[in-house]
Amino acid sequence: MPAGRRDPAAQSARRPPPLLPLLLLCVLGAPRGGSGAHTAVISPQDPTLLIGSSLLATCSVHGDPPGTTAEGLYWTLNGRRLPPELSRVLNASTLALALANLNGSRQQSGDNLVCHARDGSILAGSCLYVGLPPEKPVNISCWSKNMKDLTCRWTPGAHGETFLHTNYSLKYKLRWYGQDNTCEEYHTVGPHSCHIPKDLALFTPYEIWVEATNRLGSARSDVLTLDILDVVTTDPPPDVHVSRVGGLEDQLSVRWVSPPALKDFLFQAKYQIRYRVEDSVDWKVVDDVSNQTSCRLAGLKPGTVYFVQVRCNPFGIYGSKKAGIWSEWSHPTAASTPRSERPGPGGGACEPRGGEPSSGPVRRELKQFLGWLKKHAYCSNLSFRLYDQWRAWMQKSHKTRNQVGRTLPDSRRGTRDRPTPALAGEREATRIESSGSGDVLWGLSREGEDPVPRNPRPI
Amino acid sequence: MDLRAGDSWGMLACLCTVLWHLPAVPALNRTGDPGPGPSIQKTYDLTRYLEHQLRSLAGTYLNYLGPPFNEPDFNPPRLGAETLPRATVDLEVWRSLNDKLRLTQNYEAYSHLLCYLRGLNRQAATAELRRSLAHFCTSLQGLLGSIAGVMAALGYPLPQPLPGTEPTWTPGPAHSDFLQKMDDFWLLKELQTWLWRSAKDFNRLKKKMQPPAAAVTLHLGAHGF
Repeated sequence: MPAGRRDPAAQSARRPPPLLPLLLLCVLGAPRGGSGAHTAVISPQDPTLLIGSSLLATCSVHGDPPGTTAEGLYWTLNGRRLPPELSRVLNASTLALALANLNGSRQQSGDNLVCHARDGSILAGSCLYVGLPPEKPVNISCWSKNMKDLTCRWTPGAHGETFLHTNYSLKYKLRWYGQDNTCEEYHTVGPHSCHIPKDLALFTPYEIWVEATNRLGSARSDVLTLDILDVVTTDPPPDVHVSRVGGLEDQLSVRWVSPPALKDFLFQAKYQIRYRVEDSVDWKVVDDVSNQTSCRLAGLKPGTVYFVQVRCNPFGIYGSKKAGIWSEWSHPTAASTPRSERPGPGGGACEPRGGEPSSGPVRRELKQFLGWLKKHAYCSNLSFRLYDQWRAWMQKSHKTRNQVGRTLPDSRRGTRDRPTPALAGEREATRIESSGSGDVLWGLSREGEDPVPRNPRPI
Repeated sequence: MDLRAGDSWGMLACLCTVLWHLPAVPALNRTGDPGPGPSIQKTYDLTRYLEHQLRSLAGTYLNYLGPPFNEPDFNPPRLGAETLPRATVDLEVWRSLNDKLRLTQNYEAYSHLLCYLRGLNRQAATAELRRSLAHFCTSLQGLLGSIAGVMAALGYPLPQPLPGTEPTWTPGPAHSDFLQKMDDFWLLKELQTWLWRSAKDFNRLKKKMQPPAAAVTLHLGAHGF
C-alpha cells in the first residue's frame, strides 16, 4: 500500500453510508491500522515543557508484525509532517526526533506528536504540553449584591496566555477564624470570576486571594482584605420614568424608586443620572443627586429625544463611612422635549434665550451671586438653571400676554417643599401659584426688569 | 470526523421524514388508542435532534483535541474503543431484528455511550465545552427515557445491567493522553453512527406499527406529494 493512501473500504466504514445497502460494505471493509498503536511507543509520553526548550523524542517499534523496522517511519506534529532532517534513525527499531525552541502549544489539550508507519497509519502518539507557569493573578475586586452574596473578579497575570490549561481557585477566609474556603461557582461574570452564594459573615473582614495552577507551576495573588459592608451594591433603581415638564422645551423630569432590596437596611442612597441625545454617544452625568428620587434636567435641546439612566450607590450601610459600589445603570428610558415654538437654533445648556444684549453683564453678576449663595446659603438648590427656568417662563408669559385667552405655562418644581429664604437686599422672591396641582414656581424678580405679575391669570 | 456526509445524509433523512409523515395525515380514520406510534415518532425526532446537537459538539471538541483529530479523513487505530457498542451491523441481520431486540440494542448502546460520555472528564477542557457536553448528556438521557417509554408501551422489559458488567471507561495500563484523545474521537464517532442508525431503526418500527391501510394512503399521498 503506497504511503499516505487509505483503504477505500475503510473510508466507507468511517462515513455513515448514505444508503442502506452500504451497511453490507461495512462488514467487508475492516478499518486499517487496527493494531498499529500497540506496536510502537513514543518516549517521552505526554511531557510538559517550557516555551523555548528542546525535546528529544523516540519512536520505538516493537517488531510486531515481524520485520517492522524504523525504516520509512515519519513524524507529524499537529497533523503536519515534520521535515526529515529533524529525524534520525537511532537503530533498527527506533526513530529519533529533535525539536528545538518549542513554541507554546497550539491547543490546551496538548500538541499531537505522532509516529507514522510508512503507509501513513498511526503507530503511536504523545501529547506535548509547552507553555509557561502561571503569573500572579492581580486586580481582585469583589462586590456583594444586597449583602447576600459575594462575587469576585480578577485578572490573570500580566502576560495572560500560558498556552496550558490554568486552573484558578478563589479562596477566602474570615480574618481571625482560620479555616480556608474555596469558591465553587466560577465564570459567573466573565471567565475569571467566582460567586459565593451564601454563608457570609458581616462585621468581620474577609481575606480573599486567587491561586493559579497549571502543569508548570502555580502562583498566588496578593491577599485582599475586605468587609462585606464596604462593598455592597444594589440593583439599579427600578421604575425610572422620564416625562416632560409641561410645555418647557428644555427640561425633562426624571423619577425613580429606591431599590427595594435594601429598604430594610439602614443606608443612604446616592444617585447618579446620565443622559444623552438619541444620536450621540456622549453621556452627560448629573452627580449630586443625593437621596432624592426625582430630578429635573434642564438646559436641554427642544424637540429632541433623550435617553436617561439612573444608578444607585448605597453608602453608609449600618453607619459605615465608606461609599458602597455603584449599581449597574438602569435600563435606558427615553423621552423627548417639546418642540421649540420659536424658530432658530435650540439653546445649549446655559445659553440665553433670544437676544438680549443687556443681559450679558446681568447674567455674569447673577452667576457670581448664585455661586456665593451656594457656598453661604443653606439652600443650595438655587442655580443657574433656576434662572433659565424663570427666563423661559418670562418669555412664554410675554407671548401669552400678547395673545388673548392663552393660559399661563404649567410649571412644576421637582422638589416641592423647599422654601426660599428671604434674600438679602435687591431681590425678592415672589410666589406664584399655578392652579390645579398646587405646585409652586419660585421666581426671582429684579428691579429694572419686567416684574413678575403679582396677579397671575388663572389657568 | 467526516461531518460533511452527515449533512448530505441530513437532507436525505429530512426527505424520508416528510415521506414517513404522509400516512399520518388526518384522513386516516384511527379510532381509540393511538398505540406506541406517537412515542416512536417522538423518539425518532429526538435522534434527529441529537444528531444535530452532536454535530456542533463534535466539531468543537475535535478542534479542542487539535489536528489531526479534526481533519476530515482522520482514521486512527481503534483500540480501547473495542468496548464501545458498535452501530455497524450486517444489513440482513439488521433487517431481521425483531422489535424487542432492535429496541434493546438501542437502549443498551445509549446506556453505555452515556456512561462513557459522562466519564469524558477532560479536566483541561474549557468551561464552555464542559457545559455543552453536560447539555448533550442530558439530551441523551432524554433519548434513553424515550426508548424506555416505547419498550414499555410495547410490553418489553427494560434490559437490566448485569452486576459486574457496568460499563466503565477503563483506561489501559499507563493510559496516555494521546490514547485518551483517540478514545474520545471514537466515542464521538460511534455516537454519530448510532444516532444515524437509530433514526432508521425507529422509522422501521413506525412503519411496522401502522395499520396496513396506511400503505395505500402512503401510495396515494406520495402521488399528491
